[in-house]
Amino acid sequence: MDPTGAGGMTWKDFFDAFDLFKDPIYCAAAAGFVLGFLGVYVLLRRMVFVSAAVTQSAGLGVALAFYSAIHLGFAFDPIYGAIGLSLITTTLLLADPQPRLGITRESVLGLAFALSGGAAVVVGAKIAQEANQISAILFGTAVLVRAEDLRAVLIVGALVTVIHFWAFRGLAFATFDPGAARVQRLPVTALSAVILLSIGLMVGVSARALGALPVFAFSTLPATAALLVSRRRMRLTFLLAALGGAVAGVGGYLLAFFKELPVGASQTVVAALLVPVALGARGMISLFRLGLRARA
Amino acid sequence: MTMVSLASTAATTTERAADTSASALITCEQLVVGWNRPILPPIDLTIRRGRLLAVIGRNGSGKTTWFKTLIGLRKPLSGRVVKARPDLRIAYVPQVAQLDPILPVRARELVLWGRINGWGFLRPFSSRVDREACTRALAEAEATAFADKPYAELSEGQKQRVLFARMLATDGELALLDEPTAAMDPVAERDAYRRLARLAHEKHLAVVVISHSLGVAARFADELLWLDSEGQKVRHGTPDEVLADEDFREQYGDVHVAHAPEAS
Repeated sequence: MDPTGAGGMTWKDFFDAFDLFKDPIYCAAAAGFVLGFLGVYVLLRRMVFVSAAVTQSAGLGVALAFYSAIHLGFAFDPIYGAIGLSLITTTLLLADPQPRLGITRESVLGLAFALSGGAAVVVGAKIAQEANQISAILFGTAVLVRAEDLRAVLIVGALVTVIHFWAFRGLAFATFDPGAARVQRLPVTALSAVILLSIGLMVGVSARALGALPVFAFSTLPATAALLVSRRRMRLTFLLAALGGAVAGVGGYLLAFFKELPVGASQTVVAALLVPVALGARGMISLFRLGLRARA
Repeated sequence: MTMVSLASTAATTTERAADTSASALITCEQLVVGWNRPILPPIDLTIRRGRLLAVIGRNGSGKTTWFKTLIGLRKPLSGRVVKARPDLRIAYVPQVAQLDPILPVRARELVLWGRINGWGFLRPFSSRVDREACTRALAEAEATAFADKPYAELSEGQKQRVLFARMLATDGELALLDEPTAAMDPVAERDAYRRLARLAHEKHLAVVVISHSLGVAARFADELLWLDSEGQKVRHGTPDEVLADEDFREQYGDVHVAHAPEAS
């Protein structure tokens, strides 16, 4: 392995300054792991747009926190803005507007996505002095992560992981066969809420720490890769997606460090690269199985 | 608007005796189902152990709405569904097509879901008892051979057998199946109905099945429930009674009841 990147950075440089980089790396690993895991639900429930809308809302929440501090004189930590807006969007998505309003959940999603995206840019224009912060939030250009943001990602990530490990069978059953689960008296609505709130909370804290773009990538692409490789064991699919997310987070950070690239974009690219790698692995597995069958 | 219980007026003495000995599991009392407005007349009906009830009717006749209301997936517009006990164990088999084909799950794992009840999912892994029950159910449904294959790669008939195994794994007292033979060839369909009839008669379960296959349903079911939302008619009785009903014959004409050899 060539230790020297095109930008002139070496592994020695990296380890020399590891104290500086360890927080963003731990943060990317933890966020990638948990969002990769949740991404399997996102994909299998056809909720990619949900992830996009919640991520956009988190970005708007951070922008509103800066706006409030600068123009309204009311300061609060942007992470609360990200979590608050993420949870509001998640709660909206929990409600089914069809019976009362005659509009589908997709309409609410479209509204949340467009409004959050547009409003984040509009609010961003009003706080030009924090333009870098807004860019960091939306595209993940920040190289470092604040200690409190890392703490939030680790706490929420650990909580989500424990809950999902403990209730995995119920969450999977209620998600993928809700009719039968309801008949077998599982609390389907509550379990569905657990999944959406997990996504809302994790996206909220991660978007503040890493940026909306990589967070959206972590919650969709590693799961896509895992579903390509693992088609028969659900737990393995979830585990692979989680590991893929962690690899994308850490790998993307290293790529950004050695090649002097924007962090969030690098993490997104590495997450996307998992998909062709998984396609290749799937081809190899198929060939191996064909070989075994031919030998038998 | 009429709901006629043909069974109550024309059942044979033997059938009445069987009805009396069979215990009621669910009773529909003046049950009105629909989406904002009623789509069928009020229904009075008792679902009993040891009986196979086939629900028939054209597309949009209200079968699925009635079915969903019965199992609590929809609220009744009026009237009520009374369970014999609040903890009545019910097994539900959805249409094969309702399960996502990209679900990364083995048939065995899907059957294990049948063992999860209420808050029992708050255990990270299934118990040995659950795994043994799952293995027995797979064997009984003749699905052992493909138990470790991905569900998505199974044929429609195999998928149905897996869902049937899950139904057995629940140890339910009442089995509800939504068009279980929709994608099956006639032989597989006949075998599936024979299995359901055996489940009702030998294991003493109540089995309710939504069906489009009039001939096979009439051959194996103990009771038919015919729903017609357009004509606002509901008929309930033995297959002979329902098939002979004037309103039913007006819609369907003569129905050929499938006669099949007893052994599969």
